[in-house]
Amino acid sequence: MNKPAKNNSEIVEIFRHLIRDRLGLLGLIIVMLIIGSALFAPLIAPYDPVALNIPDRVQGPSFVHLLGTDQLGRDTFSRVIYGGRVALQVALPTIAGALFLGLVLGMIAGYGPKWLDNLILLFFDTVRSFPTVMFALAVVALVGPSLNTVIFVIMATSIPTYGRVVRTMTLSIKTSEFIMAERSLGASTFRIMSVHILPNVLGPLAVLAAMDIPTVVGLEAGLSFLGMGVKPPTPSWGSLLNDGYSLIRNTPWLIVAGGIPLILITLGFTFLGEALRDVVDPKLRGRGGAK
Amino acid sequence: MLSYILRRTGLALVITVLAVSLLFVIIHMIPGDPVSTMLGPKASPELRAALEERMGLNEPLLIQIGLFFANMLRGDLGIDVFSNRQVTDIVLGQVPYTLTLILTSIGWSAIIGIALGCYSAANRNSFGDRLTGVLSVSMIAVPAFVVSLYSLLFFAVTLKWFPAIGAGEPGDFGDQLWHLVLPSLAIGLSWVGYIARLVRASMLEIMGEGHVRTARAFGLPERWITYRYALRLAILPTVTVIGVGMGFLLSAAVFTEIVFSRPGLGKLVIDSITTRNYPVVMGSVLFSTLIFVASTTLADIINALLDPRLRSAR
Amino acid sequence: MKKTNIEWTKIPVGRRSFLQGASMLGLAGATGLGFSGNAFADGAVLKTRAYADMRSLDPAFSQGVPDEEIQAPIYNKLIQYKSGSEWGWQLDAAESIEQVDGTHINFTLKDNIGFTNGFGAMTAEDVKYSFERIIDDKLESSNKPDWSALDHVEVTGERTGTIVLKNAFQPLWSITLPYIAGNIVSKKAFESVGGKIDTTPVATSGPYMHKSWVPKQKTTLVRNPDWKGDPAAFDEIQIYPIDDEKASEIAYEANSIDFTRVSLDSLDRLKSSPPENTTVAEFPSLFYVWVGMNLSNPKLGNLKLRQAIQYAIDVPSIMQASYFGGAAPSTGIIAPGLSGHRDQSLTGIAANLEMAQKLMDESGESNVSLTIDILNKSTNVTTAQIIQANLAAIGISLEVRLHEGATFWNLGGNEDLELILNRFSMTPDPYYATSWFITEQAGVWNWERFGSEEFDKIHTDAQAESDPVKRNQMYQRAQDLMEESGAYKFITHEATPNIYRNTISPALRPDGLPLYRYFSKA
Repeated sequence: MNKPAKNNSEIVEIFRHLIRDRLGLLGLIIVMLIIGSALFAPLIAPYDPVALNIPDRVQGPSFVHLLGTDQLGRDTFSRVIYGGRVALQVALPTIAGALFLGLVLGMIAGYGPKWLDNLILLFFDTVRSFPTVMFALAVVALVGPSLNTVIFVIMATSIPTYGRVVRTMTLSIKTSEFIMAERSLGASTFRIMSVHILPNVLGPLAVLAAMDIPTVVGLEAGLSFLGMGVKPPTPSWGSLLNDGYSLIRNTPWLIVAGGIPLILITLGFTFLGEALRDVVDPKLRGRGGAK
Repeated sequence: MLSYILRRTGLALVITVLAVSLLFVIIHMIPGDPVSTMLGPKASPELRAALEERMGLNEPLLIQIGLFFANMLRGDLGIDVFSNRQVTDIVLGQVPYTLTLILTSIGWSAIIGIALGCYSAANRNSFGDRLTGVLSVSMIAVPAFVVSLYSLLFFAVTLKWFPAIGAGEPGDFGDQLWHLVLPSLAIGLSWVGYIARLVRASMLEIMGEGHVRTARAFGLPERWITYRYALRLAILPTVTVIGVGMGFLLSAAVFTEIVFSRPGLGKLVIDSITTRNYPVVMGSVLFSTLIFVASTTLADIINALLDPRLRSAR
Repeated sequence: MKKTNIEWTKIPVGRRSFLQGASMLGLAGATGLGFSGNAFADGAVLKTRAYADMRSLDPAFSQGVPDEEIQAPIYNKLIQYKSGSEWGWQLDAAESIEQVDGTHINFTLKDNIGFTNGFGAMTAEDVKYSFERIIDDKLESSNKPDWSALDHVEVTGERTGTIVLKNAFQPLWSITLPYIAGNIVSKKAFESVGGKIDTTPVATSGPYMHKSWVPKQKTTLVRNPDWKGDPAAFDEIQIYPIDDEKASEIAYEANSIDFTRVSLDSLDRLKSSPPENTTVAEFPSLFYVWVGMNLSNPKLGNLKLRQAIQYAIDVPSIMQASYFGGAAPSTGIIAPGLSGHRDQSLTGIAANLEMAQKLMDESGESNVSLTIDILNKSTNVTTAQIIQANLAAIGISLEVRLHEGATFWNLGGNEDLELILNRFSMTPDPYYATSWFITEQAGVWNWERFGSEEFDKIHTDAQAESDPVKRNQMYQRAQDLMEESGAYKFITHEATPNIYRNTISPALRPDGLPLYRYFSKA
């Protein structure tokens, strides 16, 4: 069980498995498409996502504007494409930050003294015990809406999820005979943590993180939908939905266009994550992934 | 067992107090206060002072928090400065809307989710199982507020099958139920998939265990094993998940209440935070936290009752 | 003038500000709106919508339109607004009322007005009590400024008296007497409950009586059986608080209400295919929306830069995109129909990019980046994005900063504000508009920190000016001064589109606000 990090052949194995798993492959394709379109947005998007064109406002789909236009005549399709950038801009630092802090806190909780464990658990439970949105509301009201606020809020509320998983795994590894032996041989705590515990925790955590991306993107969209996310004129899928909501009786297209990429990204990452999980740790099946 | 229940309840109380205090502090750090919201920016100092005193805002923060909990124990959450009504009344007036929404959503999604899960487990690897699997994952994936918006757009605005706003005429049960359909669809949808997968996984696990194999060896009908035995055990993790899920459900409810203009805790919190109506914010946050903490605690206790191994852990 | 109150609509009572995206967010009040279809079957019930829930039934503490909409039918005033397209007043509790000189107004009460709950006939003492309590420091009335000119009321007989002012005050007739602060309460009744009330009236005198209030759901008024004046048309008036206009439209289409204001972006659709048996009526509004520039911020210290911004903003685009073509550009802070309205603004309506670029070049400024603070509402967000694009055309980068209501309305004291997109409510007297922009208001409501002695003098003098022509010129000059400072670009007065069932015949002020006591069945 306590092998060092996966070697190359294992990574090849993972890919092989992914390709065999049709859903996983589909997920991979969707994810690649979204990441690709976000990266190459300027090449793909037919228009500048923030350029106004008031005479052509609130139009339905046409060959000129594939998904129509919003109340300012901006091309919805281009905004959707650029919205992918915002989504990833939020998701990646958020997940990375939450992952890192969750890892550190979780390992300390799992490995450290009982009182510290209790304290950290209490912190986790406290942060989790009011709904994310209410916490977000308070923080946004405090510091004003911006991309960084969104990142902070989501990061803060995701730490416990990772922290708890890490803690549980650390606990079980810590008591394994192998570590006991190492310890009796005088290995330092740092060595045990970095060489033995960390690599074992990382795999499942990466899967969890992949499956968490949609949640984070969804939250960003949700906050932007409430007008608490990105600043105008930045195109975010949430702000598209927001515009669409106020224009719901004028045009359905903004809501349709803002929702589809959200659904796609969630499907993509979930399929991919599920497939990865099957490879990395079959025992995790059926856990996690709740919103 | 009793000691476990006591310990767990104690912990729940500590968490509630901590969470509410934390939010209290955050909210009080927000610029803008109810006094200037009410009186305008250049109110006379005496007028401000009088109102601040009435709201207890002139006390140090810690004392305010202390007073809040002390009063809470007496069932007094203070008075809404804007309308002069008891906060307890205001909050309690909204709680049923949110609870109804959440419970209905969980209810229908649990029924369908468990049925689908059973079907999948019993017909493992069949086409139906796979289809259910894909659908489940897809349903888990879609954010509740997107479902809200789509269902509002299609079923209410375009097709006009269901009402778009409100919670229905008070006292008219049918009407209220009618108003619940779309919001609870939006919240429950992702749980159908989630519960289905959970039930399937735990049923498969249980059916692979020794005593089930024994039962099978004794020739007990497969159907009996599936529904009478495996299902009962498989529902356990579902209970936990629903308990823990309350927090997520509350978040989802906030969005849904906004999209469908439904009264409820979510809307109350948002409205009161934006007006810095501290007493109402605290009251509604307290109740949301209580709902969440109570449901997780209850789920833990139920689980511990059913599975003694869990009692020593947290 | 000391301004201590919360403006009647300046602070968005309904907090609609916040979830601008959630523009369908009806207040929790939407609850009461069934879709069961039985809503207006009974012709004797008027079901209508208020944009926020009731706050107080005490005229000294009412906070705006939603309160006044309930108080106007249940209380009496000496005079009431007239319905129709021109501003004016009509007698109510007063049999006669007359301005003797600048500071004295004699009135005689009708002899057939009585208070409910056995509190007897309305007397001049009640009038004295009702008005004087508002300026009583001990009561801390939030509506004190409305009676700021009041010295006292002299009771000269059982039903006669004289309102004595400290100084001549023209707005008395257009703002004070026919609005919230003009409501007459029963002295005996109020004293019996300690001098003020919250949400339950002790005694009222109007054609309707307050029956019940279900918070956030509805207020019900019923016919007052003892009312001796023109009979009330409805057995019952039900007022539903629904924050958002979109939600109200849906409620209307579901037959849950019979009268509501609608949103501008729905106007086209409603006009081209109105719901059955419905009248769509467009009214002007008195609100004024403008872009302000903070004069005390060094970044905006350059007049040429401010003028460049004035010329760069394209109001017609804003009318199209933010107001869906349903509102007209404004020339100042005083709407058409009121004394002091200007026919034209100095800097024009459409953007003049050449001029703007020229001014920009002359200003010597380059690499200008500014911020605009706005209230988080979809109309504002749209407008701000247009301004952002307009200013980009002359090389100014603009960051949009969104705020929710409680934060936004406290921005005034903030020294380093730059651009602000703002919207104030208005009452039908120009004095009310200029009062926010005098030097004394700098940092309070005068966020641009505009300071002009001439302007301040006009504001004071025009209050007492009884010659309408002169008064008109004075207020026009005042707006010229504002615009010349380079601190203002006026956007619009918005509009008030209403829809109502043809079974009712509404009575509306010129700005489209309802006067329920005069509503009747068609």
